[in-house]
Amino acid sequence: MRMKKYELCNVLKFLKLFIMSIAAFILSTQIGYSQTSQLFRTYKKEVSSKISETNEAIEAGKKLYEKKCYYCHGIKGDGKGSAALRLDPKPRNFVRNEYKVRSTALGELPTDEDLFRIISSGIEGTAMPFWSSLSNEERWQVVYYIKTFNPDFKEKETKVTADEGNIVPESPESVKKGSELFKEAKCIHCHGKDGKADGPITTTLEGVWDLPYQARNLTKGWLFKGGNSVSDIHRTLSSGFNESPMGSYAGYLSSEDRWHLAHFVKSISRGMNTEVVLTSKIAMDDLPTVPDDPMWDTINAVEIPLAGQIVAKPRLWMPSVDSIRIKSFYNNEDIVFLLEWDDKTNVQDETYSDAVALQFPTKIPEAAQKPYFAMGDSGNGVTIWQWRAYDELLENKQQKTDMNGSATATDGGTSISEAEGADSVKNGEAESDVKVPDEGANQEGVAEQEPPKPKFVGFTNMQEMNAKGFKNVALQPSNSQLTKSMGSWKDGKWKVMVTSPIATNDKKIDIQFENGKLIPYALAVWDGSNSERGGLKSVSSWYYLSLETTTPKSVYFYVVIAIIIGTSIQFWVIGRVRRFPPKV
Amino acid sequence: MAKKKDSYSMIWAILSIIVVFVIIKFVSPYVFKILLKKDHAMPTPSTLMLWYMILGVLGALVYVSTSDLKWASFLSFMLPTEDDKTKKLLQKMIVIAFPLLLGWFVYSGTVPGTASPVELRIQHPTLLQKYEKMENPYSHVSEDLKLKYIEEGKILYQHNCRPCHGSKADGNGPFANAFRLRPINFTDPGTIGTVVESFAFWRIMEGGPGLPDGSTPWDSAMPAWEGTLTDEQVWKIIMGEYATAGVVPRQREEME
Repeated sequence: MRMKKYELCNVLKFLKLFIMSIAAFILSTQIGYSQTSQLFRTYKKEVSSKISETNEAIEAGKKLYEKKCYYCHGIKGDGKGSAALRLDPKPRNFVRNEYKVRSTALGELPTDEDLFRIISSGIEGTAMPFWSSLSNEERWQVVYYIKTFNPDFKEKETKVTADEGNIVPESPESVKKGSELFKEAKCIHCHGKDGKADGPITTTLEGVWDLPYQARNLTKGWLFKGGNSVSDIHRTLSSGFNESPMGSYAGYLSSEDRWHLAHFVKSISRGMNTEVVLTSKIAMDDLPTVPDDPMWDTINAVEIPLAGQIVAKPRLWMPSVDSIRIKSFYNNEDIVFLLEWDDKTNVQDETYSDAVALQFPTKIPEAAQKPYFAMGDSGNGVTIWQWRAYDELLENKQQKTDMNGSATATDGGTSISEAEGADSVKNGEAESDVKVPDEGANQEGVAEQEPPKPKFVGFTNMQEMNAKGFKNVALQPSNSQLTKSMGSWKDGKWKVMVTSPIATNDKKIDIQFENGKLIPYALAVWDGSNSERGGLKSVSSWYYLSLETTTPKSVYFYVVIAIIIGTSIQFWVIGRVRRFPPKV
Repeated sequence: MAKKKDSYSMIWAILSIIVVFVIIKFVSPYVFKILLKKDHAMPTPSTLMLWYMILGVLGALVYVSTSDLKWASFLSFMLPTEDDKTKKLLQKMIVIAFPLLLGWFVYSGTVPGTASPVELRIQHPTLLQKYEKMENPYSHVSEDLKLKYIEEGKILYQHNCRPCHGSKADGNGPFANAFRLRPINFTDPGTIGTVVESFAFWRIMEGGPGLPDGSTPWDSAMPAWEGTLTDEQVWKIIMGEYATAGVVPRQREEME
């Protein structure tokens, strides 16, 4: 009899422990593990002990150089290797003294240690890798060989070290002081008011005179050359970059001021916050109405890294936009996105216009299978929404003339819509004609519950397309063009707000935003000033969108039941054990 | 005496399970980081975690039930106690913790939320028959000529492959961060070192779109170079790629 009780207790005890382990497992999965796989090269200051600079070492360095480095830096060290053609920024020319990351004063050659550090660290945002595959000895050998390209290394032995001064610790006052210095020292002329590299000098050099000088975008911390710690920034301010508009500020600002400035620069830089899943937040009241709506500031953006489109011809080897940020809200009618990316210029023409596109699978995939990330494939189509700065300009202009001319815009809708038919022409002007009828046709389904207050005032239509591969792209019929957008460019940054109904009637060609689903999305950006159009664009791979959900009350009910059951079982077991105590 | 000493065995069992959890969850990612010389922690996959925890619990149960005596003392923790204050406290803690844990378990199971996307893939799909018999036309040329072709291949590699696969073929090109399915690191001996050259030829020619479904062709940014590069150029690139990465292709087994 007692044995039987034991067995029962045994089973129950096992169950209890099992459930506990499950709970432990659930706990363990709570801490999110994002699957991004970014690896940013960082500036490593450690230097291994030097080997002596012998002819043998130089000779060994030459062999390594001609096996690994010359493809970019050229056999003569002049930076004209065969790969240089498709590189931006261009590889360093070792014949001239154009060394950027140095601990020495402006115009001076770098120290051997400076060269060693760059070989060991690589440079983020460029093709320069970290040569961890070379032993320390080999790296020194390469350093010694590189020095032979420029005779000055032999002739000028003494090097003036850039002055470090006393470190000023970070404080709000220091950052504030730095922000004033940022204007006073004319940093804004190249780096721009907000550090987005959109200063007037930069845009003139690059856009007007076609000189390849680019100021660093100081908001992207991962792209700082020579490291992004405050002391790295201070070093750059002190040493300057040889043969570039970035001079040394050692003579102009005191070391203390340079520390203030460094703290300020550090304060405006950010890391890349990439997440695989973007959550579209529920908007309790109204959705944001414009790209600059303060409501957007209440949520965090996800930043998606971009690469040149190299999958199919024409390929973009030197893209201009390397990342884009995205945020989203939704309510029971619409979903809105805010896309933000840095672009120094806002110069548009019909062919080369700044643009952005959002891509979704036309149908949310049930299994792991998705359409090909680059515009779908023959089996699985994608829906693409494209915004073009030029089209928006044109449409706004058109609307203004319409308004001034007569009142046709308000009532003439439906009849033109039928005349337009399904095959609308993919051209800016035709689009703006379609615009007015669209308003009437689109609202059909929603018209009844629509309050008199119009939604998304001032927004223009995007181009909604369906694609099944690069060569199989079709514009949706005009009465299916439901997405709208509004762009705003300010201080070197585009903000484009995009809106779409959550659900549409065109289930075959439009994505339906369903709750609780992981919805793949991808992005593409064009920079017109970089001659980007069509296939020449920056792209991302698939990421996921998920609509935020509220917890239904039933969940708490289940929890209470579970706790009650758990407690009863527990006390029953304890009672059993206490009534029939085990014999020890 | 013995009873008093052993009556905490339930606590020890629970503690050891917690220790197992902490080790797998928090310690092992860093141990593997050091052992495998990675520059990021290696979190234990959640399914593995579940099985390890089940094993841990089973282990603890097997231990406490190895003898009647042990089992009895394990259960005896639930008996009332008069003088042992710690035991009283621990008993209360377990009585409170167990239903709460159960509640938490139910909550996490039922609360609506989107799970992390599952993206399993086959790394080395089966080589298509079309490419199986294919041979590198430059594999039997003289040594001098071979060196020349390797050099040409390396230059072509730097031109076309470098943006993603990197200057030193380690998969860290400037575009690499943009693709969630990172470009292959050729210097890793588990990649091109394990396939024959014609496999590499297939992958270069047909790229991501040519992959079978199990290899998630929709995520691969590998271009199909057919139509852009000639067969000769691709064979040279393959030779240059292996040379840049410092690995050798797998040799075909001789069929008798």
